[in-house]
Amino acid sequence: MTTVQTTIPAANPTVDPASTTPTWGLIAEFDTPGKLLQAAEEVRKAGYRWWDCCTPFPVHGLDGAMGIKPTILPVMVFFAGLTGTTVAFLLQAFTNAWDFSIWALVWVTGYPFLISGKPMMSLPAFIPVMFEVTILLSALTCVFGMFTMNQLPRLHHPLFKSDRFRRVTDDRFFVVIESRDPKYFHSRTREFLESLGASAVEEIEEDAN
Amino acid sequence: MSSAHAIKADLSDANLRMGSAGSAIQSTAGVVAVVGLVASAAIGYTGAFGTTHDFLLKSWLQNYMFVLAISLGAFFFVFIQHLTRAGWSTTVRRVAEILAANLQWAWVGLLPIAALWLLGGGGHAAEGDAHGHAAWGPGLLFPWADMEAMRAHHPAEADLVEGKLGYLNGTFFWIRALVYVVFWGLASRWFLKNSLAQDESGDVSITSKFQKWAGPTAILFGLTITFAAFDWMMSLTPAWFSTMFGVYFFAGCCTAGFAMMIVVILRVQSFGRLQDVVNREHCQDLGKLLFAFGMVFWAYIGFSQYMLIWYANIPEETGWFLARQVGGWGTLSFLLLLGHFVVPFVALISKWTKRMSWYLMLAAIWMLAFAWLDLFWLIMPTIPEEVFTASTYMEVVEAQADATTGITNPLNATMLLGIGGAYVWLTVRRVRSTRLLAIRDPRLHEGLGFENQ
Repeated sequence: MTTVQTTIPAANPTVDPASTTPTWGLIAEFDTPGKLLQAAEEVRKAGYRWWDCCTPFPVHGLDGAMGIKPTILPVMVFFAGLTGTTVAFLLQAFTNAWDFSIWALVWVTGYPFLISGKPMMSLPAFIPVMFEVTILLSALTCVFGMFTMNQLPRLHHPLFKSDRFRRVTDDRFFVVIESRDPKYFHSRTREFLESLGASAVEEIEEDAN
Repeated sequence: MSSAHAIKADLSDANLRMGSAGSAIQSTAGVVAVVGLVASAAIGYTGAFGTTHDFLLKSWLQNYMFVLAISLGAFFFVFIQHLTRAGWSTTVRRVAEILAANLQWAWVGLLPIAALWLLGGGGHAAEGDAHGHAAWGPGLLFPWADMEAMRAHHPAEADLVEGKLGYLNGTFFWIRALVYVVFWGLASRWFLKNSLAQDESGDVSITSKFQKWAGPTAILFGLTITFAAFDWMMSLTPAWFSTMFGVYFFAGCCTAGFAMMIVVILRVQSFGRLQDVVNREHCQDLGKLLFAFGMVFWAYIGFSQYMLIWYANIPEETGWFLARQVGGWGTLSFLLLLGHFVVPFVALISKWTKRMSWYLMLAAIWMLAFAWLDLFWLIMPTIPEEVFTASTYMEVVEAQADATTGITNPLNATMLLGIGGAYVWLTVRRVRSTRLLAIRDPRLHEGLGFENQ
């Protein structure tokens, strides 16, 4: 009988703190959305800034408990839409009704173009294009603005290393506090999270580069 | 979705029933209705302020369509919530059911029009009485009902209309009208009655029944509302046609219906009822619906109808819009565009605007006013004579430069007060006698805990 020797890595290697990869932050696991809401309330009151909540589904009232400020995205979308309307109008007016020249790398001349006997400047005919370009720019700004502000797309995140954290897509609710928070102090933050009724608190390592 | 907040709404009758509150509104509305109708009749018969018989009839029709639009919009709200199995709307649905149930009186508004048929037979609008008024008859309102007169005055138009007489004739017209009002009355009553029955029994199968029948209701609603718009408004200019007309009226129904729901709910809340039941979240969603259907959708359909006709530029189609852009009608059309779309679009686009009750109330009243003006714009204009004789567009414009809309005629106000007052009286009567929340709807919990975020 042959014995195959396999090396099983220790689950939590205890090594000298000085040589470990730096801590990215702490996660605290909660069983119910209610406990998470209470915890979020306390974390906000404690003055943390670099922290977040992770849940399997939208939890109503969480934004309020976390004190999240309204997003600026709608304002961006509004002005993107307005830009679309204006650009579409100018483009059509220039290519249908106006005959002056502009310099866009080369000289381009507007060309009054008679279509089915309508006046050159026919707003009703321009409106569908203006509408569509408004929608186009609004939608693109909405999607890519959201991506940018959420720092997406992103292939990896330190949280993904935690096995415990996987249940965030199923039935567990997490408060995550990052170590870069000025209020973060490893042992004290851990104690604080435990005091909030977390069923578990786990340390997350920074990604090794 | 999960809401971890404890729901603290008071579901006792003290919060959900009006009791003696609102009795002053009801009696005032009753008095206003009687005074308004009597004054309208007086103005109409004496011909004061230059009021003609056809203006009187059109004013009746317009104000009837206005209150009808409110109820149809509310009815749409009721079955669409069942169709989509919505949870958020359980807190506001009863008010919509009450407004929709007014449809059981829809037939009353048709009585004066029925009287035209009974009185006049085929009375010729051209002959007239000693005062120069046209004789009473259906031809006074619907030109197709008096083909002899149309043949005499507008032979080209008569040629077009003759081909439609298989549809546009008195018998079929009244059969259809009967189908519409019977369906609306029975269906809206059925939704209210069963919802009230659920209040008592808590029977979940009633909700399943609603969901089962919401689909067929939607189909019949779409057909009846479209053909009612064709029959009662589009056929006022029988040579003209637009397949989008029914959808346009539907958009108007949403405007009026959703706006009236907001007004009723917020007014009821000012009596200290529905506290914590209808909150800012529900207000925001009602505001969203008003914004999306009442402004954006309305403008979208209105423009789509306009642009196709403008682009194709076919004389028998453009006449209808020409009538609405000459003289005073041009100004009124611009006012409508501004007031029904541009101004409220900007005013109600932000989230906070829909969450402030006084602001939302103001917007709803504003939209009701413009829903009324929209129907005025649909019903009142007549295609100017010059359209049939002039050789150029500018000739028509110049000849009609002084055309007036009749919007300043006091009859508009008295008729609105009369019919609107009666409608408010009916509504407040039911609001006061009915519980204002579907208290045992299986999704009520979801509705009470609803949040937008």
